[in-house]
Amino acid sequence: MMNIFLAELADPNVSIPLVLPEMLLALTGILVMIYDSIRPGRRRVTGTISMVGLILSAVALFWIWSTPGQQLSAFGGMIVADSLRMSFTAVFLLVSALTILVSTVWVEREDVHAGEYHTLLLFATVGMMFMASGNDLVIIFLGLETLSIATYVMAGLRRRDLRSNESALKYFILGSYASGFLLYGMALVYGATGTTNVTQIALNTETAQFPALLLVGAAMLVIGFGFKVATVPFHIWTPDVYEGAPSPVTGFMAAGPKAAGFASFLRVFVLGFPLVVGVQASEFLHDSWITALTVMAILTMTVGNIAAIVQNNVKRMLAYSSIAHAGYAMVGFVGAGVAKTATGRDDAIAAVAFYMLTYAVTNLGAFAIVTLVARKNDRRTEFEDYNGIGFRSPVLAFSLSLFMLSLLGLPLTAGFIGKVLVFRPALEAGTSLMVILVVIAVINTAISAYYYLRLIVVMFFRERTEEWSQPKISTALAAVLAITIIGVFYFGIFGNNVIEMFSKYPVDVQMR
Amino acid sequence: MTEFSLLDYAPVLVMFLVAIGFAASQILVAQLVGPRKRTATKLMPYECGKDPVGSARDRFSVKFYMVAVAFLLFDLEILFVIPFAVAFKSLLAAEQSGTVYYGTIAFVTMMFFLGTVVVGLLYEWKKGAFDWSIQARAEAIAEAAELKRKGGVFSRFRKAA
Repeated sequence: MMNIFLAELADPNVSIPLVLPEMLLALTGILVMIYDSIRPGRRRVTGTISMVGLILSAVALFWIWSTPGQQLSAFGGMIVADSLRMSFTAVFLLVSALTILVSTVWVEREDVHAGEYHTLLLFATVGMMFMASGNDLVIIFLGLETLSIATYVMAGLRRRDLRSNESALKYFILGSYASGFLLYGMALVYGATGTTNVTQIALNTETAQFPALLLVGAAMLVIGFGFKVATVPFHIWTPDVYEGAPSPVTGFMAAGPKAAGFASFLRVFVLGFPLVVGVQASEFLHDSWITALTVMAILTMTVGNIAAIVQNNVKRMLAYSSIAHAGYAMVGFVGAGVAKTATGRDDAIAAVAFYMLTYAVTNLGAFAIVTLVARKNDRRTEFEDYNGIGFRSPVLAFSLSLFMLSLLGLPLTAGFIGKVLVFRPALEAGTSLMVILVVIAVINTAISAYYYLRLIVVMFFRERTEEWSQPKISTALAAVLAITIIGVFYFGIFGNNVIEMFSKYPVDVQMR
Repeated sequence: MTEFSLLDYAPVLVMFLVAIGFAASQILVAQLVGPRKRTATKLMPYECGKDPVGSARDRFSVKFYMVAVAFLLFDLEILFVIPFAVAFKSLLAAEQSGTVYYGTIAFVTMMFFLGTVVVGLLYEWKKGAFDWSIQARAEAIAEAAELKRKGGVFSRFRKAA
């Protein structure tokens, strides 16, 4: 009896250092939660503890990153330490730290219960980190749920505002629906391949029990992840949720969860459903998802950009812009899928991570200014509210213009390098479908100039009809603006340093 | 495989007896020492705190959700603890005969999990999720006093009929 039991036991392969960033952050979250329940309403203390936790977590991350000879996977292959995880985790930590700084303004102004907010933000970040580090469908799903539940609540934090209520409820109902699809897809993939481990799934696609089951499972996974990263046709929730959520939370949702969605999406599809030459089942599966995602990328870019043109609300405009950016990132994603060599694939993955980094920096900077201009209850978020502020608040206007130009992808800014890097792998593949995809992406960039430049025009060349009282820029917000502006230029000019860092530990899955 | 013997299940019988005894003792103690305030609310048919007669589409208090959340928390806790408890002895044995610290890992993990659950309970407690009886008790006392003044426990129902 005992021996049989022992024989069935798998080595748990525990490695605390490998999950140290996640653990530190989770413990910080619990600490903030307890502190807030014992001494409620101390925003500065909870904010400081959260920042310290994020910094410690980042230190742990860079320690794993820079220590050679690290174990590559642990917990029975459920947690991995490769460049995909490292680079995306760095993005999440940066996003969270910037969000905490941005939200100081909003938290003070609206008298929000900040302890809860900080706790939720930290738990959401832990969820995102597990989405990136999980090499197992179950871990990915757990991370996604941790993230989702925290963000549902965060979207509704302005409890007395109907728009915020609507935002939270819409996000919750549609989000749970999408999670259902995701879970169903995972179950079907498990049924077909007999494993939930992504590396094992890749090995088992050729001997899949029922190829059709695998295909349906993959399609459901596309729906689930597609919802999280807001791709057309699963984007309907985005504008309403982004408009109604508090501005700092909107900035967070557009940068963090989207990047997290891409991290798991990339891992499951690029690494889990690779092309195995000569095996009909995997060739068909690979072909199907590449085609589906290409079509989705084209739709996402086009719908996002065209809908953004007609918006009169800056937050809605940025919401549609975030949809369009998900489309651009998917070009890199598809590029990673069609790459013929392992290095090409890893470069494409690093490019997507870098794109999410540039987008996060730019977007959070833009949302910092939107938060500042919006005033109490997010009242002033229309384009008209930005009329003629250009020379009255030059710091705000010039920074916002810079962020708009970076979102547009002007050379010397982060957005440019990001776009070049995600378009390149698809172009290198050379098939006509990929060339069409990149051409459409470039045309879309041109379309997007209209609405990004419109905001700049509104700020500098329109007459202001109402009076304008210059908002006070607090120290925290000044820090955010400094970090984001430096980030936009640094990534735009010295982007290759970051890219090198991002492709340091190649993904431990061989091409076949 | 050993012979089936009913005696092996004696602990289950003891468990049954303890459960019955516990329930009986609670009722008995309540009967003996519990204060008896026959308010209209207390004499109502039991309907989980809702009005037994009336529309089904009634608004009900958010406090029910608090109870539901606390219940879920501990319900799920049990769900994790039981498999651990069942396997723990074998894991300890496996640790002694092997090189991997199965038992230690399982124990530390479970303690960590229980600690997290306790933190959740602490949080709910401190946030006042269980504090909603103060007002209800005050109301019940006021109602009892009112009834005493009117001079009849069932006056309210009689009036309604």
